[in-house]
Formats: sequence, structure tokens, C-alpha cells
Amino acid sequence: MNTNDFCHDRGYAEFLGVECAWPANANLGTPRAELVRRHTPARRLAAIAALTLAVTACWHLGQAGYIQAKAWFAQVLIADAWSRTLEGEREARPWPWADTWPVARLRVPGRHAEAYVLAGASGRTIAFGPGYMFGTALPGERGNSVIGAHRDTHFAFLQWVRNGDLIELDTQGGTTVRYRVSNTEVVDKSDTRVLAQGSRTRELTLITCYPFNALKAGGPLRYVVTAREA
Amino acid sequence: MNTTADRTVRLPDSPHNKRIARGQRLVDLIAYLLLMFATALGFSVALGGVVLLLATPASAAQSAETGFAEMKPADARQGTLLFRGDQVPSFAVPLLATEVDIQVSGPLAHTRVVQTFSNPSDAWYEGIYVFPLPENAAVNRLRMRIGQRVIEAEVQERAQAQATYRKARETGQRAALLEQERPNMFTTSVANIGPREQIVIELEYRQTLDYRQVEGTGRYSLRFPMVVGPRYIPGAGADDEEVGAVAAGASVLDALRISPPVVRPDEHLLNPVRIRVSLDAGVPIAEVRSPFHAVQVIRDGEQRRKITLSEGNTPANRDFELTWTLAAGSAPAATLFAEPGEDGRQYALLTLMPPAPFTTTARLPREVIFVIDTSGSMEGESIVQAREALAMALRRLDPADRFNVIEFNSDSRALFDSAQAASDGNIHHAVRWVERLRANGGTEMAGALKKALTGDASSDRVRQVIFLTDGAVGNEQELFALIQQRLGASRLFTVGIGSAPNSHFMRKAAETGRGSFTYIGKVDEVKARMSELFSRLEAPMLKNIEVRWPAGSTVEAWPAHIPDLYLGEPVVIAAALDIAVGKIEISGDAGDFRWTSTVSLGDANAGTGIGSLWARQKIDALMDRLNSGTPEDEVRAAVIPLAIEHQLMSRYTSFVAVDRTPARPADAALDGGAMPTKLPHGWNYEAVFGELPRGATDSRWHLLLGGIALLLSLALWVTLRRQPTNPSLAR
Repeated sequence: MNTNDFCHDRGYAEFLGVECAWPANANLGTPRAELVRRHTPARRLAAIAALTLAVTACWHLGQAGYIQAKAWFAQVLIADAWSRTLEGEREARPWPWADTWPVARLRVPGRHAEAYVLAGASGRTIAFGPGYMFGTALPGERGNSVIGAHRDTHFAFLQWVRNGDLIELDTQGGTTVRYRVSNTEVVDKSDTRVLAQGSRTRELTLITCYPFNALKAGGPLRYVVTAREA
Repeated sequence: MNTTADRTVRLPDSPHNKRIARGQRLVDLIAYLLLMFATALGFSVALGGVVLLLATPASAAQSAETGFAEMKPADARQGTLLFRGDQVPSFAVPLLATEVDIQVSGPLAHTRVVQTFSNPSDAWYEGIYVFPLPENAAVNRLRMRIGQRVIEAEVQERAQAQATYRKARETGQRAALLEQERPNMFTTSVANIGPREQIVIELEYRQTLDYRQVEGTGRYSLRFPMVVGPRYIPGAGADDEEVGAVAAGASVLDALRISPPVVRPDEHLLNPVRIRVSLDAGVPIAEVRSPFHAVQVIRDGEQRRKITLSEGNTPANRDFELTWTLAAGSAPAATLFAEPGEDGRQYALLTLMPPAPFTTTARLPREVIFVIDTSGSMEGESIVQAREALAMALRRLDPADRFNVIEFNSDSRALFDSAQAASDGNIHHAVRWVERLRANGGTEMAGALKKALTGDASSDRVRQVIFLTDGAVGNEQELFALIQQRLGASRLFTVGIGSAPNSHFMRKAAETGRGSFTYIGKVDEVKARMSELFSRLEAPMLKNIEVRWPAGSTVEAWPAHIPDLYLGEPVVIAAALDIAVGKIEISGDAGDFRWTSTVSLGDANAGTGIGSLWARQKIDALMDRLNSGTPEDEVRAAVIPLAIEHQLMSRYTSFVAVDRTPARPADAALDGGAMPTKLPHGWNYEAVFGELPRGATDSRWHLLLGGIALLLSLALWVTLRRQPTNPSLAR
């Protein structure tokens, strides 16, 4: 038997030729199989991490998609309920288990925005469309009608609305009321004065979260657009 | 090329080899941990960077030009004075001082609040101050002091008072206006505060104190609210939460709106409040306690105490509460105060404590309906408290009682179809059912209330509905009307849960439901508070209380309908009579006998402010008619003359004071009159205010996180693919 045969790996890049002259255990390196086995847990961990990240990504993207899809798909169903409302049905539910119904249709021709307004401004309702706040004047009636919606779905267009812009509102009765934007401002969420019911004229108050480009929901500021009957 | 066989040659295991292998493994592990740490660090830095980048406009918009630390109105935790000006952004200026002097005599308190506020600048300002007062405060005097001069304010109809104030403000006269936003929330506006000038506003109110008998001794409590803090914060699960509770009548002069930014005053500038109480209980006092503030109590005989804050003054960030227990056996069975009114009538305030003996009579069997709010807003701590309170209540039922449990969120579900006997088996079943309740969904309270208030009201049972909720609802008026219509012989007891329940709703609901309101603020209070409520509920009550006034007299007494009494609760009646002598007889059913008590009008103590308290009670009763559908115009027409006659604050009347001499030169500018500005509010402790609807989803947040996770995952994957099986061998 050749001494070199006793050497572990002569084709090995680090083979200097001296190992066999002095094939001490310390210089023999570790057999490859052992190396591979030792690296496996780390690689597996990395793979698991990659997979976890992928799942997380799917979940988050799914959440985002779900919120947006819910907002837009609901409007399609509400369109049908709205036509039933115009035909005289009271509180036409867009889907059987809905706890809300369309009360108006809001259009901002200058911004190509259009949405059906639902009854109630709870978080549940405004996931589907702008919500009319109970306790304020009915949309299209005398007094201050307050409508709230999400800044990243139905009311995203509010950030571009300027004083003087035209807002059209179709009422349940089939009439159309035209409003002009008279004021935009940022207020704290506790500032309920914008809900005041003092006026004898028709007023529309649109409320959404502020700032428009914030990432997370739940900030204290609200963007308020006030419009008076034109 | 070598064969695999070559590579897998194993050397004989020697200790030396093993040590090397272990060493390499350790190094590998450390390297891997370092890599992971670096990745995580990179991830968080990247994430933080992106968030920061995207959020910049928001924070930029919030930083005030002045360099002051900016105060978001939502941060406000106490009543704050706001000044409004032309050139500078509005900023909060502290009151130099608020002084509170409370004089207690027996069951009555007379409080004087002195708000001294100053203008530290060289411009003319208008100051607006929002602050809380006790719910039952009858505010009957307001004075404005400028230097040595004192201007007495008068009560006018609200719109007229606003017009008077506005006119004075525009003509440069100093003026003050006090308005009621809610029964316990007021606004003071002061116009034309000159450069470096001080204006002092003094207001006075009267109130009756809370009185309870606990284990045979009487206990009074007095509360001076200062906190304007905790309010609803749509927390987790907000998607299903009812927000946007709007109470009617929130209209305020637009001109008085104050605009952001609002600046946070330095810590040491926070409103200092000094409180002095001079206490005369009328009978010997056993103990005086102040649970939230350190106080100094000076004894002045058996019946009198002087109480001051140990620290002199306190920042207005916590309600001041004082309770005193009467010496054993000295609790009066009845107190009667009388005051002749200007209209020739006699005003009387009667507090009567039914004697304890009837508590020993057999207790009436009960039918108890528990209603538990499991809506989204109850999520977290609140539902835990509610479950615990409910389980405890269930275990305290007597086998002779009957019970049912109803939970509600978007709709309501009952445990049993109808009330069942409180047998061990049923209780056990109910407790298990309650433990499984989870908070989620909307707050459709009406359905649950209807369910709870429907049922056979058999006369041999006391029917009690115990309602555990945080009261996060917007349709309060509708619910009050429902309770009024459906109540019948049932009694509604509300239990407020959570850190900031809507106690305005719950107090009023209990009042309408002829029961009582219990507040549980913390989990560790559940036991004590529920025990208190239960000992009250279990004690037979005094039903069908009747008051017989002296023969031949015309009497107007409030409340018109006296609620049933539970153990330890007194009857409090305010009346206006046309005679000053005679006997008042009060009787009620106490289980198996009729209890009667007689008080002579001639024995009445002379009191002051009784007329105001009577008028305030009457206004309350009139305002309650709004709940039963009386048109507001009718109520307004009844309230205004009464409030003006008695010089009282109300929703429809305000105090206004105008200094006749013009102060501000015509050419000096006052704060921008036309500028639409905002006033932060919702400051009061009881969160009586609603909120604007939430208008955002987390979709962008999810999008961002999803994107980042996806990128990282891909990067990791690619690295894994590229990496040769063994980097050290590839070298």
C-alpha cells in the first residue's frame, strides 16, 4: 500500500502533498460527509426561515388584498341593493346577512370618484363603503350629513379634493343634490364639533383618517371635508 | 477526481479529533447566530427606514413651527386653557391657578371654583377653557374679576348669550361666557385678555352628596372631577367596533373653535389645583378618607373637619375624591333642609334613610337576567373582568332564585330559552358557558335589552336585569326610550366594565331602569364591587314608595316617581311647597310589612341653594322627557324660563358677563375671528363624548410587511440555491 493511498483526498484543493509525509490526524481535515451533515441543520433552518417568510408574505399580502377586495366587491353588491332602493324597497340589504343598507350615492365628477353610502359609520360598515353616521341629517336632507370612509379605499380621493369642487349626491328619493366643497381641515378624532347640527341648509361633512399616506390605521387625526349645497 | 468513498473515509475516533469537531461545530453555530442577528438587524433597519420614509410627511405636518413640543389634542389628560391668536399658532397656556373651595353641610355641598388665567404675551387674546364638573352640579353663579372690579354674569338663553359675548368681543370689551356642553362638561370663554393681564373667573355650584349606608354606618362621598383623560381608543379588533357615538346637541359657536397645532406646556406649568374642603357633617364623623390624594385633615370638634391637600396643590390629572364615614349610630334617619324662595314658595330637600331592621325579613325570591356584552370593544381586559364578575354573580344565586344569561354582540343569544331554577347543575352549566365567551363583533344592544326585559313579571318574584357592558354605543337615546317602554316591573342594574366605560350612558340607563350603576375599573376590584352590588340586590327592597305631603298644600316634587330602594340607599326628594308647616309622610312596602316614616316641615334646617337644587332636578326631569320622545322645542320652552328664573346653567342657557368699558383699542388685533379653529375635547373622565369615525385600514401596512417578507424570503432562497454544499470545501 502506497503511503499516499492512506492520505485522505489527493484531489482536494488544499492538498499540499505534505499531509502524507506527515499524515498527522490534526492535518487530515474533516471528512466531507461529516461536514455536510454538520451544515444541514443550518441550511434547514435557513430554508424554514425562507418558507416562514414566504408564508408571512402571503398572509400579509392576502390581508391587504382582502381589505381592498372587500371594499370594491361590496360596492358591486351594493349597486344592486341601491337599484332596489330606488324602486322603493326600504332598507334593501346588499347581502342577506348585512346589517346595513345603501342610503345614498356619492359622486365627485372632478375626481372620477363614486361610491354608495351605507347606513352606519361603524368599522364593520365602512369596510364595505362610506358610512353615513346615525344621528346626523340624512344625506340630502337639511342639516349636516356626516359620512365617514377609509382613506385608503373609498375616500382615498379626498386628498385631492379642493375648495369649490363639485360633489353630487343621489338620494333614496331619486333626487340629486349638488354640493360645493367649502372647507378642508385636519382635526382630532375627539373633536365632535364637526358633527354639529346647527345649520338650516344642506351640508355634507366627509371624514377620513389623516395623514393619507400613514401606514397603520388608528391614528388620532381625521381629515374633514365640508361641502355646502351649491 | 476522487470518489465519494475517498471522502467519507473516517478516521478512528480519537479524543483529539472529537475536540476539533466540537470546536468547529461551535464556531459554525456562533457564525450562524451572528448571521441571523445581522439579518434581523438589517431587516429592522430596512423596515424602520421604509416606515420612516413613508411616514415623514405625517410627522413633518405635526411639528409646530414654534419649537415647542407639540401636543396632540388626544394627549390632553386634563382641562387645558387654549389661547387663540392671529399670528401665532394656538397654544395651551396653563391656568395660573385653579382654586376650589368646597363647603359641606350635611348632605349638601357648595363649591366655588376660581379660575385665574393670565396672558403672558404682548397681544390680545381670547381664552377658552373646557373642564368637567360633577354630573349633578347646579351651577348658579358666575363672576368675572378684572383687578378690583367684579362683574356679575347673568343667565341668558344660550344663543342670546353667545350673541352678547360675540358683540362684546368684537367691540373690544372684556367678556366671559360659560356654556354647558354636557351635564358634566363646561366651557368658559374669555374675550379680550389684555397683554400681561389676569382675568379671574369665579363660578359656584351646589350639589347633593352621594350617601350610602354600609353595614349600618352612613358614608358620604364627594367627587371633584379634574381628569379629562381616558377615552375610547379603538383598540385591537376595531374593524368590528362600534365607534362614532354621537350625542345630540354638540353644537357650539363656530367662532369659538380653536385650531391646531396645540402646544404642550412644560411639565411644571401644568394647571395646579388647590382644593380646600370645609366639612360639617352635622353629626359626629368617624373617619375621613381621600383615596387618590394625600390630604391633611384638621379636626375641629366632633362634627367638623378642614381638609387640604398635603402638597398644597396638585396637577389636574386625577379626580379628587373624599369620603367620610359617620360615627356608628349617629347616621341620621332623615335630614330636611328648607329655604324660602323668592316666589313665596318653600323649597325643601329631604333625605331619608329607611331603617335597617327590615333587612332581616325573608328575602324575596328573584329572577335574575344577566346580560353580558361580548362586542369587539370588550376585547382584552374588559371581557375578562366581565366573565369573572358574571361567574361570581352566578355562584351567589340562591336555589330559590331563577336566572338566565344573555350574551350579545352583533346579535344576542340566551343560555336558556326561559329563566331556569338556580340549581347546582344549571349554575355549573352557566359558569362553563360564560367561561367560553369571547369578545367579537358589533354592539347591537337593543335586541339583548328587549330579550332581557321581556318575561313574565310575576309579583312573587323580584325581577332584576344585570347588564355588564362598557356602553360603547351611539344610539343612547333610542336605548333609553326602549328601557322606559319595556321595563315593567323589572329593574335594570348596569355594571360598567373597562378603563373608560361610557358612564353617562350607564348611569342614565340604570336611572331609567330604576336600578343602580356599579363601576368596575380593574380586575382586582371585581370581587369587592360585585359583593357590594349583590348585598344590595339580595336585600329586600322597599317598593312602591309613596310620599304624602301636608294636607292642603300644592307641591311640586322631583323626582316625580321615586325608585325602589335597595339596602343602604336613601330617598332624596326635592320639593317646592306653598306652605312651611305640616308633616311629610313616606311609606313603602318592605317585604311583608309597610314601612312608614314621618318628618315635620317645622323641624327643617335652614339651607341655602335648595331652590337651585330643586330647579336643577326639575330641569333633569324635563331633559329626560327627550328620551320618551317629547320634541326638543317643547322641552326647551319649559327649561329656559325655569333656568332663567333660578339663574341656572342648562343646555339651553348660558352665563355671560360683559365689562362695559372697552379695553382693547379698535386698531389692536384680536385673535382671528373668522379663522375656523378647533377645540380638542372629549376630555372628561367619563368619556361622555363620542369620536369621529375611524377612516383607515391596515391594508398598506400589510402590503408593506408582505412585500418585505416576500423579498427577504426570495433573497434567502436564492442564497440557499447558490451556496455550494460546503463553502469551506469549495475554496
